[in-house]
Amino acid sequence: MLRRLKFIGALGVMLLLAWVVGADQRFPPPDFESGYRLPSPATPAARQLWRQYADAGVLLAALALAVWLIYKKRSRRGLFWLSLFSLAYFGFFRQGCICAIGSPQNIVYALFNPDYAVPVTALIFCFAPIVVALFAGRAFCAGVCPQGALQDFMLIKPVTVPLWLEQALSVVPYIFLGAGLIYAGTGTGFVICRYDPFVPLFRLSGGSFILTLGAAFLLAGMFVGRPYCRFLCPYGGLLKLAALASKWRVRVTPDTCTQCRLCEQSCPFGAMREPTPAAASPQALGAARRRLGWLLALLPALVLAGAWAGSKLSPAAAQLHPAVALAERYLRQQSAPAQYGPMTPEALSLQRAADNPATILKEAADLRGRFDLACWLFGGWVGLVIGLKLVALSLLPGRTDYEPDRGACFACARCFTACPNERVRLGWMPAAEKPAPL
Amino acid sequence: MNPASLHRALRLTAWIAGVFCLLVCGVLVCEHFAAATNDPWKSPQLIALKEKLAAEPKNQPVQNQIRQLDQKFRRESRQRLALDKSGAWLLLGGTLALVLAAGKAAALQKTLPLPQPRTDAGEQSVKLASRARLSLAGVALVVAGSLLLIGLGNTSVLPANQTAWQKLLGQAGPEEAPAEAAPALSEFQDNWPRFRGWDGSGAATQTNCGTNLAWRSAIPAPGHSSPVVWGERVFISGGTAAKREVFCYNVSSGALLWQRAIENVPGSPPKVPEVPEDTTYAASTPAADGRRVYAFFANGDLGALNFDGSVAWTKYLGPLKNPYGYAASLAVWGTNLFIQLDQGETPEEGSKLISVQGASGRVVWERSRPVSASWATPIVIEAAGKTQIVTLSKPWVIAYALPGGDELWRADLLANEVVPSPVFAGGMVVFINPADKLIALRPDGAGDVTKTGVVWTNDENVPDIPSPAGRGELVFTVTSMGMVKCFEASNGKKNWETNLDTEVKASPGIVGDRLVILSENGLLVMLRAGRELQEFGRSQWADKFIASPAFAGGRMFLRGATNLYCLRPEGAQPAKQP
Repeated sequence: MLRRLKFIGALGVMLLLAWVVGADQRFPPPDFESGYRLPSPATPAARQLWRQYADAGVLLAALALAVWLIYKKRSRRGLFWLSLFSLAYFGFFRQGCICAIGSPQNIVYALFNPDYAVPVTALIFCFAPIVVALFAGRAFCAGVCPQGALQDFMLIKPVTVPLWLEQALSVVPYIFLGAGLIYAGTGTGFVICRYDPFVPLFRLSGGSFILTLGAAFLLAGMFVGRPYCRFLCPYGGLLKLAALASKWRVRVTPDTCTQCRLCEQSCPFGAMREPTPAAASPQALGAARRRLGWLLALLPALVLAGAWAGSKLSPAAAQLHPAVALAERYLRQQSAPAQYGPMTPEALSLQRAADNPATILKEAADLRGRFDLACWLFGGWVGLVIGLKLVALSLLPGRTDYEPDRGACFACARCFTACPNERVRLGWMPAAEKPAPL
Repeated sequence: MNPASLHRALRLTAWIAGVFCLLVCGVLVCEHFAAATNDPWKSPQLIALKEKLAAEPKNQPVQNQIRQLDQKFRRESRQRLALDKSGAWLLLGGTLALVLAAGKAAALQKTLPLPQPRTDAGEQSVKLASRARLSLAGVALVVAGSLLLIGLGNTSVLPANQTAWQKLLGQAGPEEAPAEAAPALSEFQDNWPRFRGWDGSGAATQTNCGTNLAWRSAIPAPGHSSPVVWGERVFISGGTAAKREVFCYNVSSGALLWQRAIENVPGSPPKVPEVPEDTTYAASTPAADGRRVYAFFANGDLGALNFDGSVAWTKYLGPLKNPYGYAASLAVWGTNLFIQLDQGETPEEGSKLISVQGASGRVVWERSRPVSASWATPIVIEAAGKTQIVTLSKPWVIAYALPGGDELWRADLLANEVVPSPVFAGGMVVFINPADKLIALRPDGAGDVTKTGVVWTNDENVPDIPSPAGRGELVFTVTSMGMVKCFEASNGKKNWETNLDTEVKASPGIVGDRLVILSENGLLVMLRAGRELQEFGRSQWADKFIASPAFAGGRMFLRGATNLYCLRPEGAQPAKQP
């Protein structure tokens, strides 16, 4: 019964945003002259500088608070309220922009387009969470990211995703990151932002596709903890790498691990890892070493194969760029003219192209050259990511206690109070009831 | 409340919230599909009415029906938006209640975990890693397959390699346009190729001035554009909201050789903007370059016609935002045509100067201009070792280098709406800030020359509509009330002034030693174009002159309200009236 209820709820959430689809509708301007002057479209003024710095200040303060709540206070309740604040401020108030998830695109766009200067706030939003992750893990995901907070609040009854599937899908964020960066570098657009499924909810506006995608993620998020964060978020991928090298790490127990496995049960994100045997058999060790050697040798081949496959992608990938799309439409019109109504966007764009086809085609040619290189790099990156993941899966971990995976742990603090030692420390349970260590 | 009761209450709440959400969703989805199928742009009723209106533009009942339908659509749209908004909030509240209730109910039902110690952790770990590697290989295959599928399935028509690109770019480049030598300067000077002569100063290179009527021909369509002359052809433009045309007459006989409508221009909307009657759809004077005649109309249609009347090309440059209707004339230089397309009431409304290749209609370049609408025509001058095109529009006088179009200098000297065009005389660009000053500027500066370029100004009886005329060291101005003045171009010294006491809108012209002034009520006055005031004579015509005179081949051409007149020199034989 409850499952059906949840399903109905999820369906409701999926359709929550359906109304916004109405925003796609555009009404024709008045037909008759009556002295009324249509206002000229105006670009909204940039956000005032002090407000931008205020955003950066709020981010830094929230990060500091998150670190304090995770490491000092070990407080899930504190993180919950911080998440709520972040959802309200960075989500609904700032409408998902500025946002750390899309900020690497600003950096890459600036690298390849000298006319663009990266705003200081974009730099802070991009690097501050990464720097924090280098010291204290994914504190940003724990309580500062509005997308993460929204999914966290929707979680009703988490189901366990098999770890093998989780590991395999963990490469997807890096592939998405690569795609986002090549489109940013070529000046096509910020696809990571464009396909962020939660921003339309924050803004109460968006297209049908992205709203459906957002609803699907929220629906899935009722039963799978933070699906976007785990299987798609490109910035999460960067934070994961930084967190792997973090100076401090989240420890479940304040004392000796009793290996009761309660923390493993409490983690809805599959981030808890069990202890591994002290030593593998010499036979198994030899096989593992040989496998590792083969995979290391295979790595350059995977990169090259990926680069080759990526190079085939260039013509299709370039068509997302408006200038290339216009050149395509112009050439098609030359060979097979299509009839468009007067003053339609298609007719106007074709007229613009026909005015100066050489410029349009030259721009398309330049862009295609950039895409050729970018797609080689993207394909190589995909090969590298898959190869490194295969290598990582062939390493033998050494763990003596139940502990969170440094990269996968969102530092949400749910596991703290599941640990009997922590409960004893907090005075919630007498020390005598604590299970004996195995 | 005991846990079981609480669980029941929460479960009931969740059910109610779920059903509520479904109902709201259903309403919103139905509403969405209703909106999607009732697109105001595609209403058959509206389309039919608009087609009817296009056929009968003055049909007031049809206009009223369209207005009512439009209002109905808007009302429905607003109601739909209001419903969407309130529905969204209801749905948000319902979903929140559902998630909270269902979450709490799930928590109450949760059984405490009782995990057992793992004894096969090592074996499981190896199996898990193996399965993860396999599934990762599967993901890799899916990714590679997707990349290849997208890549190989692409339908791009753009070239796939460098050689093909070069070939395509070569075809699209300027080489593709038919190579055409520019007419010699002397050809431009011998004819009257644009508004106010080859250099826009209003002065003819010929010395003979027609004084006797050679012929008179009817003009089939209204317009205030002036005649242009090339060889044996006189061109004028005219038009209405329904049709815009170019007319070609024989210089010797006045016979209408052909008339051609500029129509079916790609991108040009069937509904033309309303233009004040005082301006007309054909206020912009055409231009000719010996191969083609070019005409631009207030609806944004630009057309090039061969001298036999066939259409070379057409182009739509609109929509034009001009409070009184577009009136600036075309300029020609070499093989290119220039359109000063200044628009709007603020400098941010898309004003630009466009250079178009005469042979093909291809836009060679265009420059955005930080100015509002203007009615002045640009002039091309040779000064400071450069060919410059000088433009006027509030607030800037801006000169661009030819052929490239790079800006050379600018001066912030125009505070009012600019109608008179500039002239170049005595090494100065002389222009008018209407109802304020006559200004002479040295065109040899760079950058902002507002404070450094002005040589002299004069603020007495400044014209607001007629342009000055200039030749050699002298500049002549005429106000709308008929006050005529002669200035030294180099220092602004006034040589003489006289009041004709008549309303003047046409710009004066200079031919030989005569200054020709046409008044709106049909008066033609000839004064000496020199340092001393002398009136040669005046004649009254039964017509209205707003267009400026043209001079070529020893003849003078005047456009009246309904007739085109040709005046021959004394002694020449009159033509047989066409």
